Amino acid sequence: MTALRHGSARRRLCAAGLSLALALSPLRAVTLDELVTASSMTPRRFANYFEDFQYKEFTEVQDPEVFLRTETGNCQDYAILGDYVLGRRGYDTHLVHVRMVGQIAHDVCFVTPSKAFLDYNLRAYYRNLEPSGPTVREIASKVAEMFKSNWTSASEFTYTYDEGVKHMTFTVVKTDPPSEDPDHRAPR
Amino acid sequence: MKDRTVQRILGFFVLIFAVVVYVAVDSVRNINRSMSASDWVNHTHEVILEVNGALSDIRSADAAVLSYVVTGDARAKAECKEVFADLDEQLGVARDDTRREPAQHDEIVQLISLATARADFDRAVIAARKSNDTEAVRALLTGDAGVGATHEIQALVVRITSEEMALLAERDHASYDQAQTSRVTVWAGVALDFVLFAGVAWLIWSDIVARRRAAAALQEANEQLENRVRERTAELAAANETLRSENLERRWANQTLEHQLKYNQLIINSINDLVFVLTKSMNISRINPAVVHLVGLEAHELVNRPLSCVVRLDSGAAGPGSPLVDSLSLALTEGRDLRDQPALVEDKRGQKIPARLTIFPLRDRDKVVGGIVVVQVAPKAN
Repeated sequence: MTALRHGSARRRLCAAGLSLALALSPLRAVTLDELVTASSMTPRRFANYFEDFQYKEFTEVQDPEVFLRTETGNCQDYAILGDYVLGRRGYDTHLVHVRMVGQIAHDVCFVTPSKAFLDYNLRAYYRNLEPSGPTVREIASKVAEMFKSNWTSASEFTYTYDEGVKHMTFTVVKTDPPSEDPDHRAPR
Repeated sequence: MKDRTVQRILGFFVLIFAVVVYVAVDSVRNINRSMSASDWVNHTHEVILEVNGALSDIRSADAAVLSYVVTGDARAKAECKEVFADLDEQLGVARDDTRREPAQHDEIVQLISLATARADFDRAVIAARKSNDTEAVRALLTGDAGVGATHEIQALVVRITSEEMALLAERDHASYDQAQTSRVTVWAGVALDFVLFAGVAWLIWSDIVARRRAAAALQEANEQLENRVRERTAELAAANETLRSENLERRWANQTLEHQLKYNQLIINSINDLVFVLTKSMNISRINPAVVHLVGLEAHELVNRPLSCVVRLDSGAAGPGSPLVDSLSLALTEGRDLRDQPALVEDKRGQKIPARLTIFPLRDRDKVVGGIVVVQVAPKAN
């Protein structure tokens, strides 16, 4: 009788805990403010927010709130948002645009302290950060390897939501000698 | 002679391994060269795409500007902004792509200059339209109609594209050559390895044949040796049998001789006459028991003593001046018998016993080596 009473109390405690967890869990999409102000934001935690996001091609960069609300976007939305959020949390980040054969292009956000880049294609995986060297050539080679393709050129660029235009900082061409790369001559 | 087959086979395998390693290293090197050539092909494609994309952007921008001029729609203006950004990126990439190719780079710079001028013109039209300055818009568009700026850009793009196509063909040819070199290297390596494997197979085969031949020769030699051993064994067995027969015959002969000797000895021992065997110098070498019985001296007391100490010829019978021993010695020397001579036997006590003496010379082939003296004692009168 005592054992039964103890078992019933344990079940009630478990049910209450589960209800509390469900109540606290975010049932709605995360907002840009929540990302920017979230405590102890890291690149990995940032990537975790996007594991259920869908892929859709857009000609232009989406507004970040639209991207987060619809949970639909592409590599440039994700990389630019990563650059925006992590940049505001003090991380040194770089946006890289990699061009591959067949008019395929891919954007990633390299996080210098993590020595890895954020890639929208990895958002659903446990390892959502891809380790890489810091140069654009190394990042481009890694991205092309993931696509099982050849890259032709890659550019580091900047983007602000206010202006809405990509500005290419410099471009690395695969056929050029690596010693001639702009970021090789002036490493980060 | 030391067998070097294993060393040769090992040598072949070392060669095969070296060929495989060389082919692998050379193939990897060729693959890298081929990838590099492929990168140049891709690079050329990108330049062509970027340049043609830029031309497309310029046309799109012109269309968007005209649309904005006609409709005043803000979306057309926004489209212009996007197209200009895209144009900027494409020309920037084309410029960076050709920075190590001076001729192409100059043309791209020229294209950028023309495109920038065109973009400035479009921005001027937009600005005029935005300020509703219809006259300015008309003046700009009218002025542009005779300039043919777009045609100039298009002609330049076509020229750049044509040159890039030529480069593309050249680079593709280099890529093909690399692939062909890889194929030739791999097939040559395979052929060489095949030849080396054939060499190894031939070496092993010839070694097996030589070993079989040697084994057959060894077997034949063994068989010949066994035959010779068999023949020699048979010969030895036959010789042994003959020897055994001869031994048996010799033993039988010896036994016969021994029996004969015993018989003779028995005969001599059984007779009552005294028998002395003498040396050539007339010394006694043997006697029969009748001598011991009559004289009273043992054989060892008589052997090697002169006959004259026991027996003498009777001097009365021999005549004066003819000593006994001399007569007997003379007979022996001459090798003749001396028969039935009167003699005296002196026994141990000095008593003289009359007797008759006969001497026979003993011969070894034709040479007299001694003599036999037989003394017949006259029977005692009753």
